[in-house]
Amino acid sequence: MAIPVRGFAVCLRAARAPLVDCDGAARPFAASGPPLTSMRVASAPWSPGSPASAPSIARRVAAMASTHGLLPALLACAVATLAAGVLLRVFDLSNVVILFLFTVVLVALRWGKLAGAVAALFGVVSFDFFFVPPVYSFHLSDTQYLFTFALTLVVALVIGQLAARLREETASAIAGEHRATALANVAGLLSAAVSTEEIVDECNNTIAPMFGSRGWLLLPDAQGRINTQEPMLDGAVAQWVYARGREAGCDRSGEGSPVRYTPVVSPLGTRGVLALQGVAPSPSAAGEQQRLFEACCALIGQALERIHFADLAREAEVRIEGERLRHALLAAVSHDLKTPLTAIRGMAETLESATGLPQAERVSAVRAIRDQSDALHRLVVNLLDLARMQEHGIHLNREWHAIGEVVEVALAGAAMALGARQIHIHLDADLPLVELDACLFERVLANLLDNAAKYTQARANLWIGAHVGGNGLLLQVEDDGPGLPSDVLPETLFAPFARGVRESAISGVGLGLTLCRSIVEAHGGALHAYPRQPVGARFEIRLPLRQPPSIEPEQNL
Amino acid sequence: MTRQRILLVEDEGDIRHFIRVALEREGMTVFEAANAWEARIAAASRQPQLVIMDLGLPDGDGKDVIRDLRGWSSAPVLVLSAREHEQEKVAALEAGADDYLAKPFGVPELLARVRAHLRRANLIGMGGATLSIVRFGDVQVDLATYEVSRNGAPVHLTPIEFRLLAALIRGYGKVITYRQLLLDVWGPGYSDRPHYARVYMNNLRQKLEEDPARPRHLVTELQVGYRLAGICRGEATLSAAPPVPSERGLETRYQA
Repeated sequence: MAIPVRGFAVCLRAARAPLVDCDGAARPFAASGPPLTSMRVASAPWSPGSPASAPSIARRVAAMASTHGLLPALLACAVATLAAGVLLRVFDLSNVVILFLFTVVLVALRWGKLAGAVAALFGVVSFDFFFVPPVYSFHLSDTQYLFTFALTLVVALVIGQLAARLREETASAIAGEHRATALANVAGLLSAAVSTEEIVDECNNTIAPMFGSRGWLLLPDAQGRINTQEPMLDGAVAQWVYARGREAGCDRSGEGSPVRYTPVVSPLGTRGVLALQGVAPSPSAAGEQQRLFEACCALIGQALERIHFADLAREAEVRIEGERLRHALLAAVSHDLKTPLTAIRGMAETLESATGLPQAERVSAVRAIRDQSDALHRLVVNLLDLARMQEHGIHLNREWHAIGEVVEVALAGAAMALGARQIHIHLDADLPLVELDACLFERVLANLLDNAAKYTQARANLWIGAHVGGNGLLLQVEDDGPGLPSDVLPETLFAPFARGVRESAISGVGLGLTLCRSIVEAHGGALHAYPRQPVGARFEIRLPLRQPPSIEPEQNL
Repeated sequence: MTRQRILLVEDEGDIRHFIRVALEREGMTVFEAANAWEARIAAASRQPQLVIMDLGLPDGDGKDVIRDLRGWSSAPVLVLSAREHEQEKVAALEAGADDYLAKPFGVPELLARVRAHLRRANLIGMGGATLSIVRFGDVQVDLATYEVSRNGAPVHLTPIEFRLLAALIRGYGKVITYRQLLLDVWGPGYSDRPHYARVYMNNLRQKLEEDPARPRHLVTELQVGYRLAGICRGEATLSAAPPVPSERGLETRYQA
């Protein structure tokens, strides 16, 4: 088995790392295709993806030589020797030695320690062979040259090693800076994300390409299942990685390069799986790349966790707000239910016990019972509507209606409550049909008319008008009563439990307008309150208009 | 004049009680039934002229009782229901009921409807089928000659408008569902197009009503259908003087 020299450790590790089959069974990593490194080992380089054949020893040595800069070192020595041969015509032999030292420094700076040492050795050897008399021989005429060689060799080695270390430190400083910049970028991108979708986008489009050709961040659903439609990915492997919190590789033969699955871990557990395809960094940069990759995974995990907790906090807030509303509703409803019930019961008992009650008193007691039960009825109807809408959402039973019919029915229903109030209706004769839930919409008008009856004096005027304006239908209900309360904004009237007159004798929990607005908005419309000039209030409903269905002309029927 | 016989089917005792008191004060005889079984027996033995029926009975659905009743009786049926869904109303009407009242209802409203339906049944019983002239408000319709006039002036109606009006007249003031109207006027292919009825009803109102926005005769039953109110036959004008001002509106709305 042919393995790159430094890939040996890799293979041992890879053999321990399990690989999950598509059917979910784990099998040893090394048994399948090309080995993938376990990235948790920072020093292990990523193996080249090509399957190892059997290269000749010469080719391996040559490869190694080129890898570590040995060939350039030998070449540099040769060049230095030639140069020295030329220079020796002008300079003294002892001065030319410096040229070899200089070469060693250059080689060590460029190709590292080993190349520097080789250059030092060959420099000394070629100096001996070519320049020290007798030339073209390793024999020495003067034994003091031995001292010179030894010293030169030691000096060359030391200088070479120092230069090489300088080079490595510079390189690692530059790489560190690159990593820091990249990390800062990733951190910036992730911290700007406000939803998991954005994080997924950043991972797939920005972060993954830093490490491989393509990448996907896979997130579990509510049941902890990882689903993916991506044909390159294997859901079972991703699920395994997510469940175990361990890394795995998967090669689906013939479908491009293998995909590596890395768990995205946050302090409180695994949050997802990052799948990378086409991981091919240069071996020398592998360690840096690996550390950067791990740091990015940690950042992604933290970002996911941050959003998870932000979601939890938001849900809790909604729940608390719902709870608060429920309490307010309960308090208001129990007040508004009990008040008329108490009155009804009291009046009934008065009628029951008092035998000598004057006729006028009896009539007013009976009238009061009826009024109170009407109020109770209106409240119950609103509550039921509200409960129905909250339970099922607002379900609209839309049909094409003539708005005039809805007004007619609402007016007939409110006739008793409106009493002697003058009602002026201005509906254009050619109003188009509107698509609405007539029963819900009748509730809107009924509530507006009820409000008018509740808050205006017995001889007030009411105006109901409808016309097409802008790109919608405009429906207005106006009165010349006391108008909207001056101390609150008109919009607050539409908040639940808002009432113009605080704790007044007028019953109703202020659900009416809230209900009206919900219904109108469910129709895609808007409901607003305005003061009417010179006195009174004006409620305006704006409904969007669509092309009504065609009606066949009569002669065709 | 003989006392009119009313069958009251309602499982709640208090409601039965106040309806009974109200009807007896009107000079009617009331028979009570608290469930579907009693209702079937009472209907057969008492031969009521009008039935007031609660839909939610302890031993069955009021609609089934109405269907059975329709097999042999044409007495008007007035449905009482706490269920607000329009589908329920439509189902009751199509089972054979003539009208419905949603709980809670007022006594004046109930009485107005009972009177209206008794008058209507009376008109049919008088053999009015031979009379082709019908009046409501200031409108006169001759079903034989297709002539319609308002305040003596002829009104032109298109054939569809006339068929719609005739269908309402044939109902004698009972609620006619959209489906029934569409089948009757437009034919089977149109039963799911209630907007046809709405558009033509608007035309009819513009031509026949004094105030089309607040019709007194061509009355909307939202999501259910229409009824023709205030109808009378030939020269026989039937109108009772309403006792309290607030009931005047009801009387007109439900007068047949």
